[in-house]
Amino acid sequence: MIDTKNLAKELNNLEEGAIFLIETDASKLLEVHLAAMKWFSEKKYTQIVLSTSRPCKNLLSLYKENGIDTSKLMILCTCCQGKENNKQKNSNVIHLPSQSALIDIAMSLSYCMERAKDKKIVFIDSINTMLIHNKPDVLAKFIHSILTKMRINNVSGLLISLEIETDKELRAEIAQLCDKIIKI
Amino acid sequence: MSVIMEKLESTLNTILKKNEVNSIMLELDTESYLETNIKTVKLLQKKGLSGVYVSIQRPFKNISSLLKKQGIESNKIIFIDVASAVSKETQEKCKECVHISPELDVDELVKAIYTSIEKMKGKKFIFIDSLTTFALHKPISETFRFSEFLMRQVKGKKDIVLILNVAKDLSHKKFIQDVVLHADKTIEVKV
Repeated sequence: MIDTKNLAKELNNLEEGAIFLIETDASKLLEVHLAAMKWFSEKKYTQIVLSTSRPCKNLLSLYKENGIDTSKLMILCTCCQGKENNKQKNSNVIHLPSQSALIDIAMSLSYCMERAKDKKIVFIDSINTMLIHNKPDVLAKFIHSILTKMRINNVSGLLISLEIETDKELRAEIAQLCDKIIKI
Repeated sequence: MSVIMEKLESTLNTILKKNEVNSIMLELDTESYLETNIKTVKLLQKKGLSGVYVSIQRPFKNISSLLKKQGIESNKIIFIDVASAVSKETQEKCKECVHISPELDVDELVKAIYTSIEKMKGKKFIFIDSLTTFALHKPISETFRFSEFLMRQVKGKKDIVLILNVAKDLSHKKFIQDVVLHADKTIEVKV
């Protein structure tokens, strides 16, 4: 069990538009994901989720089970590769070809950031899965571009990564770009 | 040389008084990278320096707002917004900020730095927020050419100090070690 009160305390201290990196271990990854999503949902953020590890169908079901408002949610799904496209009734899901389709991902994120009107957060889960599908330097460059876009548009950001398993150099490249690093 | 963050001020004070050091490489903890960047600029301004902030990590809008919140006078700084350029973002015109083309041409960037620094009076600084982020967008050879050219240009000048920042976890990289060889001083800043 993660300390959700501590996580909420850390999140409460962050200003709107801040970008932070949460480092955790594999056993807590989903719990951290859901706890953070719930916190932002309660704060009425529009959440743009780049899902690299779980298909949208599974995520939506988990969000509903955990009382997360799915009406203010946009999922960029890189996992189901369109298999859920026809079955998926939720218009807030954008299907992307793969975790390595970085141009598609960047364009879709821009589209979602422009479309959402309220305070927004981009949620990237997870850096490690992205790293399986992309070279570290390519991924670091991509993350830098996305974070710049988010900062220009005053969009908050949450990146989740596994504490020990992340490539040390990639971790340093990404961590120095974030406003805060939270270890859970 | 290794200093804790609280001692950064006295270390920089000594360096600035002596006028013998023109280029300084700061090796920073990733956990406090931004905080140290801001603190360094604040110290330089406190010592009466004005300067050019080459923002590779963050767009002008973000970094200028963060510096203002920390009481840093942005009218004494000219920003060069590399982050927005490399991300191909639309760039708003602003008198405090110089924009460059998305190709990130080293010669164009150096020219922008020197055109900006010439507009300033008194003792000045050139602040490069992250060499390793620069290297994400340009080949290592170009990154080295950029830093080496700047270090050569400031050498022997009593009125300019060049600050190059890198993350400590990346300072072992070969090209960073090559830059360290050419810098007058390297300071590892610990939290």
